[in-house]
Amino acid sequence: MLVRILVLLYLVGAPALAQTLCQPNASNGYRVRISIKTALGNQAYEWNENEMFLFQATMAFAMRRYYKTETYNVDNIIVCNQTRRVSFWFVVISPENPTMLIPKADVEKAVSALTTRLPCRPMSNSMSRHRINNAFLLTDRTLEFLGIHPTLAEPVNPDTPPWLIVFGVVIGAVFAGIIALLVSSLLQKRRKEKGMMEDGQDEEDRQMKGVENGINLDGIYNRGFTDDDRFTKL
Amino acid sequence: LIENKWDNPMQFVLACVSYAVGLGNVWRFPYLCQMHGGGGFLIPYMLMLVLLGVPLFYMELAIGQKMRLGSIGAWRAISPYLGGVGMASVVTSMYLCLYYNVINAWSFWYLFHSFQSILPWAECPVNSNLTGPVEECERATPTQYFFYRETLDISGSIEENGGIHMGQALCLLLAWIIVYLFIIKGVKSTGKVVYFTATFPYLVLIIYLIRGVTLHGSINGVKYMFTPKMEQLAKPTTWINAATQIFFSLGLGFGSLIAFASYNQYNNNFEKQAIIVSMVNSGTSIFASIVTFSIYGFKATFNYESCLERVRLLLLNTFDLAEDTISLENVNHWIAELNRTHPEQFASLGGRLETCDLEAELDTAVEGTGLAFIVYSEAIKNMPVSQLWSVLYFIMLLLLGMGSMLGNVIAVITPLSDLKFISVLSYLVGLVCLFCLLLGLGFTTRSGNYWFTMFNDYGATFSLLFIVLIEVITVCYIYGIKRFEKDVEDMLGHRLNCYWKIMLAGVSPILLIALFIFYIVNYIQGGTPTYQAWNKELGKSVVTEYPPYAQAFIGLLLASSVCCIPLTALYTYCKKRNLASGKRERTVSTVSA
Repeated sequence: MLVRILVLLYLVGAPALAQTLCQPNASNGYRVRISIKTALGNQAYEWNENEMFLFQATMAFAMRRYYKTETYNVDNIIVCNQTRRVSFWFVVISPENPTMLIPKADVEKAVSALTTRLPCRPMSNSMSRHRINNAFLLTDRTLEFLGIHPTLAEPVNPDTPPWLIVFGVVIGAVFAGIIALLVSSLLQKRRKEKGMMEDGQDEEDRQMKGVENGINLDGIYNRGFTDDDRFTKL
Repeated sequence: LIENKWDNPMQFVLACVSYAVGLGNVWRFPYLCQMHGGGGFLIPYMLMLVLLGVPLFYMELAIGQKMRLGSIGAWRAISPYLGGVGMASVVTSMYLCLYYNVINAWSFWYLFHSFQSILPWAECPVNSNLTGPVEECERATPTQYFFYRETLDISGSIEENGGIHMGQALCLLLAWIIVYLFIIKGVKSTGKVVYFTATFPYLVLIIYLIRGVTLHGSINGVKYMFTPKMEQLAKPTTWINAATQIFFSLGLGFGSLIAFASYNQYNNNFEKQAIIVSMVNSGTSIFASIVTFSIYGFKATFNYESCLERVRLLLLNTFDLAEDTISLENVNHWIAELNRTHPEQFASLGGRLETCDLEAELDTAVEGTGLAFIVYSEAIKNMPVSQLWSVLYFIMLLLLGMGSMLGNVIAVITPLSDLKFISVLSYLVGLVCLFCLLLGLGFTTRSGNYWFTMFNDYGATFSLLFIVLIEVITVCYIYGIKRFEKDVEDMLGHRLNCYWKIMLAGVSPILLIALFIFYIVNYIQGGTPTYQAWNKELGKSVVTEYPPYAQAFIGLLLASSVCCIPLTALYTYCKKRNLASGKRERTVSTVSA
C-alpha cells in the first residue's frame, strides 16, 4: 500500500519536481535561443514538439558522449519556459538521482566544442557542438547557448605568408624583364657596331639631312634664320 | 637629348594623360564633389578649367616644345635671372618622387594580400587567447585595423619612431625597380609603357562602373552625389577648391609637362593636344566619381541594413517575439510600438539600441588614402567574388600611381641629363631611383605615415602656386607675350587667338594671385598645423599638433623650393656683374686676337 502511494506520488510528483528544477535563471540551467528563419529563410521548418524532442535527444547524446559512463536519456533533459522567439531554458538531471542537477560547468563541457568551418572530423568528443548544430541545420550563431561561447578557430598560419609568394613571383618577373632588356641592348649594340663598319657613310648622310615630322627634307636646316631672341639681352 | 624623341604624337598625348590622370582624380575629386554640393560643383570646376587649367597647360607645353630642354634649361633660356623657377620645379618634383611611390608600395601590399581565400581586411584576426577578436580591431573596423596596424604598423604620434616595416620596404623596392625599368631608356621605353598605363585604368573603371551600378544600394550614392546643393556655390571655399583641384590635377608647375614636351617634334600641334588632355582629365574625374559614389552608396546601404538587422535581432531577443514579426522594413515602426507598450523593458535596452541612418552613412566623406585603402576595401569585401574585384581595383590604383610617377621622375631626370653630370642615361636614372628609394625608406617606418601626410600636405601645394605664378608672369611680362606669340606661330603656323592671350596675360595671373593670397591667409589663420594620429586604445584618429621640430621641417619644405627663385636670381645677378667687370679687362686682348 505504502509502496503504491509512493509510486503514485513519484509519478505525480516527478514532473512537478522536474518543473521546479527547471526555471528561468536557474543556477544550473542554460538558455537556448534558436533562429530558424534567419538561418534557413524560405526552407525554415516549424518548431514544434517533435523538434523539441530532437533537441532533448541530442542533448542526451552530447552528455553520453562526454561522460561515457552514465546512460542519459531524453527524460534527463528538462525544458521549460518556451517563448515564441523560440528560446527556452533547459536543465540536465542525473539519470541515477532525478533530483540532482548536473552542474553548469559539466553541461558546458559536454556542449562546447571546437567549432570550425572545416568539414566535420568524426574523431574526438569535442565535436558535439558541431553535431548538435548539424542536427538542426543551424550554426553557432543561430543555435545559441547563452553563456557558452564557441571557442574560435585556431588561425591558420602557413609557413610562408601568401603575399610573399605573389611578391616573389612579381619581382622575379621584373628581374627577368631587366635582364632581357640588358641582353637585348647588348645584342643591339653589337649588331650596330658590325653594321657601322659596313655602311657607315650612308648613316652619316642620312643624319645630316633634317628629318621634320617624318618627312625627309632634302635641304639642311639653316640655323641662320632661327630666332635668337630667346636669349634676353642684358 | 635631341635624339631622344617620342615615336609619335600619340605617345606624347598618352604620356600626358597617364601623368595627369592619377590618384587625385579617384580620391580627391569625389570628395570635393560631395563636400561642395554634388552636381553643382561641376560649375566652378568647369569654369576654373577654362580660365586657369587649359591656358597654363598650353603655356607649359609651348615652353617645353620650343626650348627642347628640361625645366632648368628652359627657364634659364627664357630669362637667366629666373632660371630658379626650373630649379624650384625640380626640387618640388623630387619631394613628390620621394613620397608618392610609397602609395604605390601600399597598392602592391594590398594587391599581394588579395590572393587569399578570405581577404585579410574582411574580418578581425583572433587574439592570442583565442577568446575573441583583437581589441584594437574590435574598437575600430577590420579594414582600419588592417591599414593602420598590419600595413603601416603605425605608432601613436609622429615623435614615436620605430623600425622599418619589412613588408613595406620590400614593396617600395619593387615599386622603384619597376619605375627604373620604365624609364631606363628615356622616352623610348616610357613611350611604350604609357600605351598601357594610360588606357588600362579606363578599362577597369568601366568594369567597376558596371559592377558598381548593379550593386544593391548604389543608386542611393549616385543620387546623393548628383543632387546639386546650389547654396554651396555661394561659399568662396568652393571656388578655391575647384581652382586648386584643377591646378594640381593637371600637374602644373612640376616641370613634368615641360620635360614631356621637350621630346616633341618642333611642329607638333600641342594646342589641340592641350585641350584634349585637359578635357580627358576632367572627364575622368567625373567618371571616377560616379564609380566612387555608386560604391559609396553600396557601402552605406550595406552598413545601414546591417545596423537595422542588429536592431531587429536586439528587439527580437529582448522581447522574445517570433522571428517573422519584425522585418527590416518595419523595424522603426516596431521601435515606436514597443516603446509605447513595454516602456520599462524598452528603457532597459539603454545604449544598446543603435540609430540607423542612411544619410549619416552617406555623409561620411573621406578623401585620400582613407578613401582608397579603407573605404573602398570595405566596400570590396562585401561584394561577391571579392578577391577578383580587389585585384582589379589595386591594379588600377597601381597603374594610375605609376603613370604619375613616370612624369615625376622624368621631370627630375630631364633637367639633370641636360646638365650633363652623367652621360649614360641608365646610370643617371639608376642613381636617382636609388637615392629616392633610400630616402623613401623613411616613410616605411612606424611613424612614416605621419611624415608622408606632412609631405603630401605641405611639400608641393604652396610652392607650386608660387612657381606657376612666377611662370605666368615671366612668360607674359618679362619674356613678353609678343615674343611668346611669335614662338608659337613659328611652331604651329598660326597665331595665338584672343582666348589664349586674354587668359594667359590677364585672367590666369589674377586668379593665381587670388589663390596664393588665400593660401597664405588660410595658413596663418589655421594656427598650429595639426595631423591625425591613430590612437590604439580608442581605435580612431585624434587630432594632434605637430611638435616644434616638425613644424620647422614644414617651414623648411616650403622654403627650400620657393627660395630657389630669389637665390638663383641673386646668383645670376652677381655672376653677370663679375663677368661684366671681367669683360672690360679682356676686350683689349680679344680685339687683337
